[in-house]
Amino acid sequence: MSFLESIRQKAPFLDKLAESFTPSMTRDEQFRAEYKLPAEEHIIDDTSADVSFISAFGHAKTLRDKGRKGEQAMAYVFSGKFFLTPHYLVFRDAFDHASCVMIVNLSTVKRVERAPSTAYAFSLIVTLYSGTQILIQFIGLRYRSEQFCDHLKKKLKENIPNAKQLPDFLSSCYSEFLLRKNLLNAKDIAAPSAGLGQQFKFPGNPTVAKEKARLMLWFNYFKENGENLAIVKNHEFQKLIRIGVPNRMRGEIWELCSGSMYLRQANPGVYQKILKDNASKVSQAVEEIEKDLKRSLPEYSAYQTEEGIQRLRNVLTAYSWKNPDVGYCQAMNIVVAGLLIFMTEEQAFWCLSSLCDTYVPGYYSKTMYGTLLDQKVFEAFVEEKMPLLWNHIVENDIQLSVVSLPWFLSLFFTSMPLEYAFRIMDIFFMNGSQTLFQVALAILKLNGDDLLQSEDDGMFIAILKNYFQTLSQSAHPDSSDVKYRQITKFQELLVTAFKEFSVIENSMVAQERARHQKGILQNIETFVKRTQLRHMPRTLNLTEEELSNIYDIFYQSIENHKISMGTGSSNMNFEVFIQFLSKFCDWCRSSENDNDPAFRQQRRNFLKRLFKNWDSGNVGDLTLNDVVSGLDKLLSRDLLESVNYFFSLYDEDGDGELQREEVLQISEGLLFLTEPWKTSRFVDILTKQSIEADIAEKIVKEKGTAMTMDELKLPSGVTIDEEKYKTEQTERYLKAASCFLQRSFEYARPLEVAEEINLIDLSDNEGETEDAKQKKFQSMRANAALDPSHPTVIDLATFRMIILADETYELFFTITFRHSIHVDQRVDLSEAKDKALRSMFDGIIADGRRVADQVRRRVDSVATRSTTASINSITASNGPATIPRDDKSDDLDDLTSYHADEHEELLNNSWLGDVESSDSSKKQSRTLQPINSSSGSQQEDLIEFET
Amino acid sequence: MNSSITSVKLVLLGEAAVGKSSIVLRFVSNDFTENKEPTIGAAFLTQRVNIGDETVKFEIWDTAGQERFASLAPMYYRNAQAALVVYDVTKPQSFIKARHWVKELHEQASKGIIIALVGNKIDVLESGEERKVAREEAEKLAEEENLLYFETSAKTGENVNEVFLAIGEKIPLKKAEDQANQQHGLRITDDQRIDLASSTNGPVKASGCNC
Repeated sequence: MSFLESIRQKAPFLDKLAESFTPSMTRDEQFRAEYKLPAEEHIIDDTSADVSFISAFGHAKTLRDKGRKGEQAMAYVFSGKFFLTPHYLVFRDAFDHASCVMIVNLSTVKRVERAPSTAYAFSLIVTLYSGTQILIQFIGLRYRSEQFCDHLKKKLKENIPNAKQLPDFLSSCYSEFLLRKNLLNAKDIAAPSAGLGQQFKFPGNPTVAKEKARLMLWFNYFKENGENLAIVKNHEFQKLIRIGVPNRMRGEIWELCSGSMYLRQANPGVYQKILKDNASKVSQAVEEIEKDLKRSLPEYSAYQTEEGIQRLRNVLTAYSWKNPDVGYCQAMNIVVAGLLIFMTEEQAFWCLSSLCDTYVPGYYSKTMYGTLLDQKVFEAFVEEKMPLLWNHIVENDIQLSVVSLPWFLSLFFTSMPLEYAFRIMDIFFMNGSQTLFQVALAILKLNGDDLLQSEDDGMFIAILKNYFQTLSQSAHPDSSDVKYRQITKFQELLVTAFKEFSVIENSMVAQERARHQKGILQNIETFVKRTQLRHMPRTLNLTEEELSNIYDIFYQSIENHKISMGTGSSNMNFEVFIQFLSKFCDWCRSSENDNDPAFRQQRRNFLKRLFKNWDSGNVGDLTLNDVVSGLDKLLSRDLLESVNYFFSLYDEDGDGELQREEVLQISEGLLFLTEPWKTSRFVDILTKQSIEADIAEKIVKEKGTAMTMDELKLPSGVTIDEEKYKTEQTERYLKAASCFLQRSFEYARPLEVAEEINLIDLSDNEGETEDAKQKKFQSMRANAALDPSHPTVIDLATFRMIILADETYELFFTITFRHSIHVDQRVDLSEAKDKALRSMFDGIIADGRRVADQVRRRVDSVATRSTTASINSITASNGPATIPRDDKSDDLDDLTSYHADEHEELLNNSWLGDVESSDSSKKQSRTLQPINSSSGSQQEDLIEFET
Repeated sequence: MNSSITSVKLVLLGEAAVGKSSIVLRFVSNDFTENKEPTIGAAFLTQRVNIGDETVKFEIWDTAGQERFASLAPMYYRNAQAALVVYDVTKPQSFIKARHWVKELHEQASKGIIIALVGNKIDVLESGEERKVAREEAEKLAEEENLLYFETSAKTGENVNEVFLAIGEKIPLKKAEDQANQQHGLRITDDQRIDLASSTNGPVKASGCNC
């Protein structure tokens, strides 16, 4: 054992965890991580104090007895700091934070009393359940000490209900059993239930004598320093762990070191409840677990029995329900199978929790980002510590991860004989994930010479496989020194790992993780995206780029889903769906009508229908595939198809007919969808053409028809009257809406004889304000529709006819609607607000080519016919027949040619603002400007028109 | 005898517990183990076989099947010349997964990778378990995607060696003239004593080597 001594001296296992975490951790987080306390614990108060731990059983007992006579100074005294949390009293020495670390659960405190003291102003004696006493001598200001005591008193009171469960909990601890059996002479006391090893033997099967000797060491330690929920950890504690924990004690030591004991104590009955609540439920995880139950340490006899399998099943499924983000990952079966050899189901369950949350974060997650990250970190360490070997690995294109990934993911359980893997686990639970890196590096180091000879993966793997199988053999078989010869390869491995690689501390691991994290997460995101895009449903109307864009917007919208971490649901509920659409659909963006409850209702109704229609699984959640299929239908380039689809949204029973109520709904839906144009936030093609025609007309008027194309410069200083076009467009949309309803009921097929309804054409009443028109429209609609005595239906053909009968609505389904869904644009969230205020006028002004086109047309027509066409007739002749098809009209909604500063300007002169201003006579005008400052390039453009 | 050796990097992909590792174990050691531990990450094995005069050394990358390990797969199919996409003939879900793998390989793996679609566990059909993936369906996929197609049993050994034989034949060999008088015999060389040529199974579906 002398070599172990030397490890201790030369490679001090100082628990410097406090410094080891990234600075982003809060003090409470650091504190919890250092002492492995549950998430509810936080520092309520702290104070400096000297402390003596006077065990009820240790030989300090005699000191205490004498102490009563005023000789307390003879007990060991440690100076340090006390911390109080809701359920724990923690002390750590000021010397090296490892000579005396005391963690006492408040449930174990039986009595607190003031102690008479001469040396200090204020001291307390805390008596524990076991009879052990803690003498606290406060240092510092009196009022601070009093304050600490008050807090302690308060917390102790609050903890009384928990304290009642203490005996139950202690009866599950092997340490308690060991002490009672030997100290209280309770020879017939039953051992607490334990892991499978008690029944099926422990792997490696050490000699009884050795096991007993190790148990004796722990027994003595507990006597002196307390146990389980009230224990002092010092250098001796660490030493006992390094020499190997006896099998019977192992379960408890693991849960004590990992802090899972504290979780178990804080959550009595939770494990059983999870199992019970999910008893008959099925999930993907449960199915995957079932596949692997018989494939978990199959050579260990317990896992060839139903009992062992059942325990494994319980722990794995319970954990998959507790943490659905992780669910089940292969390798967890092996790790849990290992834990269950030493632990009860409940112990293993909480230990697995600690493992997944703090020891190997992200290892078993859906994307396994933690595993990938730590492989990267490991490679970085190999490169840094063993550059020769690293170069060899790179030059020979050897996949290091094939050997190293299982070391980390299944904690060496599948790589080396279990008895050795468990020894490494002892240290791993004490020191954290640095242990995995230290051991892994040592393995490569010790085999370095052989590995440098390997030329391919096969040899590389074979060398290590052979090494693991010979761990029990002498590391120096040829040495003449007997003592030296007795050192096994495994012992040599431990020395190398914890001596040579002691510099690889948790802090260094954390640093390296931070360094590589971003790259790894990005890689995963790219991979996940590529995979998902590959498995998307076939789409007719979406390009790959658009799909990729939809993917991005989709996951941007689901904020609590982290693609790279694989956490959170990747499905979209209705509220998120609205957010999603509002990012790229003009009609779903926020508008001034949002304050109108009727409008909000219209929007909600329509979106609900859309959501329901897209929800293929009928589960109230949309998957990415649902959204893609839905958008594909929405973006159909075929007029009839898109009209049909819209119809089908309202034809819920799918019988091809809309009832009266459904017709009303559909008209409401149209009102909602057309709102951005009705309020003239956006300009449709008809209006745009009208504006272009007017400008062209003006130019022609000014310059006369005799001008040639060469003379035509893009007009500057021409003003357009925005208000006029907006009013026109608004009226056109209102008219379309009223015509739609009118015609719907006109052409509806009566189920009975329908009374003729007198509908007023609202658009004729010029004098009316818009408000009044709206009101009239509403009441008219109510009259026509809500007449239950005359049921009527319209079928798809009629609906199509009605839509096609109206220029505006026809255009809406041909182009306007499709172009209001900007799946082709990258969404920048910060821009979204501005977009709502964008005006299409800017686009028109910027696009002088189209105006020039109009001018040319006029010049040509004048030349041939010599008549001056009126503005109106030109507009009319440019009606539906000349609606530009896709390629041309794309420009209209194409905001990419849009200049950012222009909308800033618009914000300042927004006509929206002026509507409210008192000076209604003042009309906003905008100046038409040439697109290019250089006339040369304009001419080039013009020449293009003529070809 | 020609002593030149062609190395073939081959990767196995497919859903968890379809028998990827068992197929490899059968091919490499002519052995079978019930309840094999799942492959964690990946495993690497090699096997040499003679195809005609040529020795082909298969470098086999056996991958973990669970969905979440998929992000590791590119590390292993990188530069692979051949792939076995394995499914379980009694598990329709595993066939869907196989389709996905084929798609991914065609998109991401090296051009010209030879892919064999392998329906495993046909032995359980004998013991009365129902087949859930029709032969025709798999054949159709194989035809569409230009895959070799086999149904195997790692447990009985049926057709396992044939899969590798067929792949070996499609791999561009070192010497062109070898192909002319190539014999369709496959023998494990050296220390291995398995004679694949003596297999009783019907002709291999591989449609000759047109490389």
